[in-house]
Amino acid sequence: MNNETITKINSYLSFNLGEEEFAVNVSKVLNILEMLKITEVPKAPEYMKGVINLRGTVLPVVDTRVKFGMTPTEYTSNTCIVVMEIEMDNDTVQVGTLVDSVQAVLELEDSQILPPPNIGTNFKSEFIYGMVKVDEKFIMLLDMEKVFSVDEISSVKEKIKKGEVKIEEKEKVIEKKKVKKSKK
Amino acid sequence: MDKFRNKFIEEATDNIHDLEDALLLIENDPEDKELIERIFRAMHSLKGGGAMFGFDSLSEFTHHLETLYDLVREGKYKITKKLLDVTLASVDHMKALLANDDLDSADLRTIHTDLSLQIRKLIDKENEEKQQLIVDEPQTDKSKVKSYYIYFEPDIDIFSDGTNPLFLLDELHTIGECKVFAHFNKVPEIEKIDITKCYTYWEILIATNEDVNTISDVFIFVEDQCKLEINEVADFDITENDNIIDQVSKLTEERTDVGVSEIQSIIKKITLSEKRIEQIEETIKKKGPLPSVKENVISSIRVSSGKLDQLMNLVSELVTTQARLSLFAEQSGDSELAAIAENVQKLSRQLRDNAFDIVLVPIETMLTRFQRLVRDLSKELNKDVVFIAEGADTELDKTIIESLTDPLLHILRNSIDHGIESAEIRKKLGKPEQGKIILKAFYSGANVHIQIHDDGAGIDPEKIKDKAINKGIINKDTSLTKKEILDLVFLPGFSTAENVTGVSGRGVGMDVVKRKLIEVRGETELDSEINVGTTLTIKLPLTLSIIDGLLVKIAHNYYVMPLSVVNKINAVDHKNVVNKYNNLIVLDGEQIPFYYLREEFDLPEGEQEREQVIVVRYDDKEIGLVVDEVVGEYQAVLKSLGKMYKKQEIISGATILGDGTVALVMDTNKIISRFSQAKLNV
Repeated sequence: MNNETITKINSYLSFNLGEEEFAVNVSKVLNILEMLKITEVPKAPEYMKGVINLRGTVLPVVDTRVKFGMTPTEYTSNTCIVVMEIEMDNDTVQVGTLVDSVQAVLELEDSQILPPPNIGTNFKSEFIYGMVKVDEKFIMLLDMEKVFSVDEISSVKEKIKKGEVKIEEKEKVIEKKKVKKSKK
Repeated sequence: MDKFRNKFIEEATDNIHDLEDALLLIENDPEDKELIERIFRAMHSLKGGGAMFGFDSLSEFTHHLETLYDLVREGKYKITKKLLDVTLASVDHMKALLANDDLDSADLRTIHTDLSLQIRKLIDKENEEKQQLIVDEPQTDKSKVKSYYIYFEPDIDIFSDGTNPLFLLDELHTIGECKVFAHFNKVPEIEKIDITKCYTYWEILIATNEDVNTISDVFIFVEDQCKLEINEVADFDITENDNIIDQVSKLTEERTDVGVSEIQSIIKKITLSEKRIEQIEETIKKKGPLPSVKENVISSIRVSSGKLDQLMNLVSELVTTQARLSLFAEQSGDSELAAIAENVQKLSRQLRDNAFDIVLVPIETMLTRFQRLVRDLSKELNKDVVFIAEGADTELDKTIIESLTDPLLHILRNSIDHGIESAEIRKKLGKPEQGKIILKAFYSGANVHIQIHDDGAGIDPEKIKDKAINKGIINKDTSLTKKEILDLVFLPGFSTAENVTGVSGRGVGMDVVKRKLIEVRGETELDSEINVGTTLTIKLPLTLSIIDGLLVKIAHNYYVMPLSVVNKINAVDHKNVVNKYNNLIVLDGEQIPFYYLREEFDLPEGEQEREQVIVVRYDDKEIGLVVDEVVGEYQAVLKSLGKMYKKQEIISGATILGDGTVALVMDTNKIISRFSQAKLNV
C-alpha cells in the first residue's frame, strides 16, 4: 500500500489490546471476524497462533498481544480476528490479528495526529507513527508494515524483555503480567 | 502495439531457442536437410517478425544470416565448425538485440558490427568459390545434358603430321565431363615399337549439353586420319553414375573394345534397376510418415502459464468442494446422493490427473541450455567434454523446472571447471581423454531424482576437511563421516578450487545451489570418489499442489501425511509408547524406532488406551510416528501456510477438510530428521 492511499483515507479502526487502544488505517483492514477455530501449527513461534480457513484460503493468525510482549490473548466473546493486508518483501500478504476487542471507526484529520511519544528508541518511529487524543484517551496509530515484518517484531520483543526499550505504558503492562516463557 | 511487441518477443524467444537447438543438433549431423530447413525457417520468421514490429537491427542482422543459410540450403556451402561458431555467437547476439534493439550500448554495437562483418566475409568467400566453380564446370544446366559414346582410333601414322591425339582429348574435356578409356592392346612388343607410330586407341564417354556437331568439330582436322564413331547413348549425365562407369571400365579392361551397343545395354540395365530402387524408396516414403511431416501438424498449442496456474487453482477448488460433497452425502445417508458424490469424486480425480499432465513439463526443455553451456565452456577451458542426458522425458512441475535451471547450470559449470581434468592429466591417469558428464533423471517413489555425474577428478575429503578447519567451520578434532565432510561444500563461503577462475570458485556456489533447491523442496546428496568422479543427486517432490494423503488426528487437530511414504499402520497400547527409554517398538517381529508426535509437538500426553503407529519410510529405514487416531485416506489440496510460516519446515502446507477445518500437511522426512537431530543434540 503506498503512502498516497494512506493519506487519502482518513478512517481508522481502533481496537484494544489489554488496556491500550491502538488504531490502524482502514485501508489495511479487509475483514473483522468473530473468533474461529484456530488450528495450531506445532513448533511455531509463540506469537504465531495458528491458521484458520477464510473462505477456502489458509490464513495465518498472529497473537498480537504476544507480539507486543504482553500475555497471550484469553478468548472472550469480544475477541476478534482482524484480517489485514500488509506488504512483506514486495508481496501483499493477508494475515489475521487477534485483538481483545474492536472499538470504533474514527475519522481523523492529519492535523489531529500528534507525533509519537518521545521515548527515545526505534520502537516509536518504527511501529507507531502517531498518536491521537480522543475523549481524553491516547490512541496509538500503528504502522502495520513495520509491525508485521517478523524479524523486526522479534527483535523488539527481545529488547522489551531485556529492558532496552523504555516505554512507560508498555513497561507497566510487562511489570504487571509476567512474560510467559516459551516452552522447552 | 506494445502488446503485439510482447507477443513477438515471446515468439522470437521461442524461435531463437529452436534455432539454437537445431544448430547444436546439426553439428553432429551436418548433412541433415530437415535441420537446415528448420534453421532457415526460424531465421526467416525472426527476420519477418522483426521488421514488422520495429526490431530493425535484429531484422537486418538476421537477414545476413539467412542469406548465408540460403546458400547452405542450396548445398553450395558446407556446414563447418567455423560457420557454427559464428552462427551461435550470432544467436546470442540476437537475444541481446531482442532486449535492446536500438544498440545504445557501445559493447553491443561492437559485437554487432563484428559479427555482421564475419557473416559478410563468409558470404563473400562463398561467392568467390562459386565463381571458380563456374569456370571449372560449364555445364550447369543439367536438364539438357546428353551422354555420347565416342570411339576414336587414330591412324597409325597420325604423328607424322604433328597431330597429338591427347590434345584432342583435352579439347573434349572442355566440352563436358569425360570418362576416357585407353586401349593399349595394339601396342607391339617393346623391340618392335616404332616411336613415330601411334598404337593407342580410345573409347570415351562424354556428358555435355553441346550437340554431336560440336563433338565431331573437335576431330575435324583428323577426320580422314582416324576411325571415329560418335553415338548418343543416354539423355542424362552417365558420368555421374558410378555404377555405369564402374561396369564400363571393367569391360574395357577385359576386352579390347566395348562398342556402342554394349554400353547402351549397360546403361539401360542400370538405370532400370535404379529406377526400381527409387520407386521402392518413394513408396516407403509415402507409407512411413517422415518426422518432418509430423512437425508441421499442430500438435500443441501455446497457453500462458498464468492460465495453467488458474486451471490448477480451479482443480484444487473442485477437489476441496468435492470433499465437502462427499462428507455431506455420507452424513445424509441418501444413497442416490452418495452415488452422485462418488461419481464426482471419480471425475475430479481424473481431472486432477489430467491437469497435472498439462502442467508437468519434461526435463528435456532445459537441456538445450546445458548442452550449450558444456560446449562453450569446455571450449573456453580447452577441455574435451561430452554431455549425455538420460531420461530427458521425465516430467516435473514447470515451476520446479524453472527454478532448477540455474542451480543445475552452476553444478555443470563446477563439473567442467573443477571436475573434468585436462586431456593430458586424463591421459596420464589412463582415462579416456574425452571427459563425460551424464545427467540422469528418473522417478523414485513420490520423488524425481536428477543425477549429475562426471568422471573427473572427484573431491578429496581431506582437502575439504583441511579447508573447513582453516575457515573455522569445523573443529580440528571433529570426527566426521565422509558424507558429512562432503556436505560441507554446501556451506556458505566454501570453495575448494585453488585457482579462482572466471567460471567458478568464488565460494558463492554450492550454498546458493542448495538454498535454491530447498526452495522447491529439493534435497541434495553428494558422492565422490577421488579420480573416479563425482555424483550429485537431487531429490525433488513430484508435484507441489495435490497429494494423496492419510488423514490422522493428534489432540484436536487434523494432520495429513503423504500416502506415498506410509508403509503400514499398527495399533499400539498407550503404555508401550510413552516414557520409553529407547523409543523402539516391536512390530511384526521388527524393531522400529518411533516418535510420539504428541510429545514432539509439545502437546499434553494423550489419555487414550490405544494409539496408532504409522510406519513411514525415511531414506531406507522405517520409522514409526505415533498419532491418536487414523481417519482415512484423503486427497489433500496443498495450500501454502504463507510467508509468515516460511520457517516452518516440518509442516509443508495446509489443506481444508470437507467440514471447513484446516488440516496441516506433515513433511515426514523433515519431522524425522529434525527430531532425530534434536535428540542427538541432547
